[in-house]
Amino acid sequence: MKRHVVAEFAAEAPLLEAARALRAEGQAEVDLHSPVPLHGADEALGLKRSIVPRLALVAGLLGAVTGYLMQWYLVGVDWPINVGGRPPSSPPAFIPVTFELGVLFAALAIFFGLFALWGMPRLHHPVFEVEAFRSASVDGLWLSTVVSAEAAESTAARLRGLGARQVQIVEDAS
Amino acid sequence: MSAKPAIAIAIDPLEPVPVLVGRPDDRALTEALVKPLYAPTTRGWKLLVTALAAGMAFWLLSLATTLVVGIGAWGNNIPVAWAFDITTFVWWIGIGHAGTLISAILLLFQQKWRTSINRFAEAMTLFAVAMAGVYPIIHLGRPWFFWWLMPYPATLGLWPNFKSALPWDVFAISTYATVSFLFWFMGLIPDLATLRDTAPTRLKRTIYGLFAFGWRGSARHWQHYRIGYLLMAGLGTPLVVSVHTIVSFDFAISQLPGWHTTIFPPYFVAGAIFSGFAMVLTLMIPARKILGIEHVITMKHLDNMAKVILATGMMVTYGYAMEHFMAWYGGNKYEAFAFLNRWTGPYAPIWYMQLVCNVLAPQVLWFPSMRRNLVVLFAVSILVNIGMWAERFVIIAVSLHRDFIPASWGMYTPTWVDWGLLFGSMCTFGLLFLLFLRFLPVVPIAEVKELRRELDHHDARVAGLAGHGEGTP
Repeated sequence: MKRHVVAEFAAEAPLLEAARALRAEGQAEVDLHSPVPLHGADEALGLKRSIVPRLALVAGLLGAVTGYLMQWYLVGVDWPINVGGRPPSSPPAFIPVTFELGVLFAALAIFFGLFALWGMPRLHHPVFEVEAFRSASVDGLWLSTVVSAEAAESTAARLRGLGARQVQIVEDAS
Repeated sequence: MSAKPAIAIAIDPLEPVPVLVGRPDDRALTEALVKPLYAPTTRGWKLLVTALAAGMAFWLLSLATTLVVGIGAWGNNIPVAWAFDITTFVWWIGIGHAGTLISAILLLFQQKWRTSINRFAEAMTLFAVAMAGVYPIIHLGRPWFFWWLMPYPATLGLWPNFKSALPWDVFAISTYATVSFLFWFMGLIPDLATLRDTAPTRLKRTIYGLFAFGWRGSARHWQHYRIGYLLMAGLGTPLVVSVHTIVSFDFAISQLPGWHTTIFPPYFVAGAIFSGFAMVLTLMIPARKILGIEHVITMKHLDNMAKVILATGMMVTYGYAMEHFMAWYGGNKYEAFAFLNRWTGPYAPIWYMQLVCNVLAPQVLWFPSMRRNLVVLFAVSILVNIGMWAERFVIIAVSLHRDFIPASWGMYTPTWVDWGLLFGSMCTFGLLFLLFLRFLPVVPIAEVKELRRELDHHDARVAGLAGHGEGTP
């Protein structure tokens, strides 16, 4: 059974330092929790570049292509309409819907892509077992890491040594 | 921080008015910003909700009459086939532009002052777009077939005509409504988590917790969140410009004198921002006072918004002047008549009202003392709201009522249903906004905390430069 070790820090510098130290000691699942994005957190956790921009680009292009092809097929091929002698497939008239569908697909991809990357909705998470963890969305700076049951006590001691204000161990029920 | 700090107004014009009064810490900021949500409901709020709900009932009655009787319940006729309905539609959708402008364009331009007001403006956008969306649908005549507007494989084998501006409108408005909602909700997620964690009762904690979807402020989540939010802003920027451009195509690609003009897209976008900022001011001036957040939404915000109103007001004025110039220079007598008819025709008083509200009234904002006078600002914002409605009425109904052949001229008189739909929609909008003020944080809490860090950083750098007499860039 896994254990979540949750620790609160008083300031950003020791928090980031503790994350670097634990990672250097081979812990892979270190995470930080804060009310605002922290400068240097990506580097301290060794996070790779987010794939959200690539996702948005692909979805946006897909939306624009879908929009254009849809209009071309519907009014240019399947049901050609003669309006004022203009050709049935009339590219300038297709620009607005092509653009709007590109934006719509990209926005939907960003929004739902974020939820997928976050693993949300996930209303319950072991870190929420810690009552004081509520401050993570107000003014608290927290570190969490996942370790085996045997390593939990030693990790907690290590975090205290790194300057944590309080440390708690939560059993992962899942 | 529970005591309300005084608003510092700089005497020296070179001394910047702060975008955040004081440097409250994270806890104090959170407490100040969530306090109005947990305070007991006041009598004034209940009274206001009751009054607006009565207005909404009138709106629903007008809507029901439209559905039962049909479009004949309105004053619309031939030649004036578009009147209060489309005027009010364009008015609302224009108002709905301020939110995305503030949250997206100003974010990309790194305007710090946008932070405290973006949630407010985005909510206003959503409600304005919701109101706008009703009009084209009820104007369909048989609104229960509104889904015919979408391209779906119908048994008749028919498709919408994508060479017409009206299907463009369907896509533009529905995309705008969807993206505005997603952007607004994305910004809300960290704040909903804050509400979940500070809520005083179990019920509130549960409800806010459900909508926070389990946000735990993880650095791994923030990383995707930040880039996703920025990209949404990047998408929102061309989107907001495209929406009113496409709305203006409804008119510009037709051949009616007064509509058929290439200046419409930029002029409509400027008008949209103009009216949207005016509506933000109208709502914000009382709201910041009532909610006690004058240290977060400071005079600096109001001052900047007044400047945007002045600038866009001048653009709109340029649009009016250029329309008249082209009517004269173009040498088309129908076009010339359409503009002469604005000055001398039966609806001239509305045109004069438009000029007073949109051209003259914003001119007082040249004076810094006027921009800091809440009464003047509020009055100007109301006048601009009225003026922009008048502008759309003049463009739509006044152009339609006298077109090419005098034999086909006519007059338009609104019925009680038209008035009910107009005032009722304002009440419904106000009601939605009051509910928003009551249940959601008006100021983005997480973003203001970030703003404070940026300001701290800036202060430290300025102090460093002053201390050493030299600095690194």
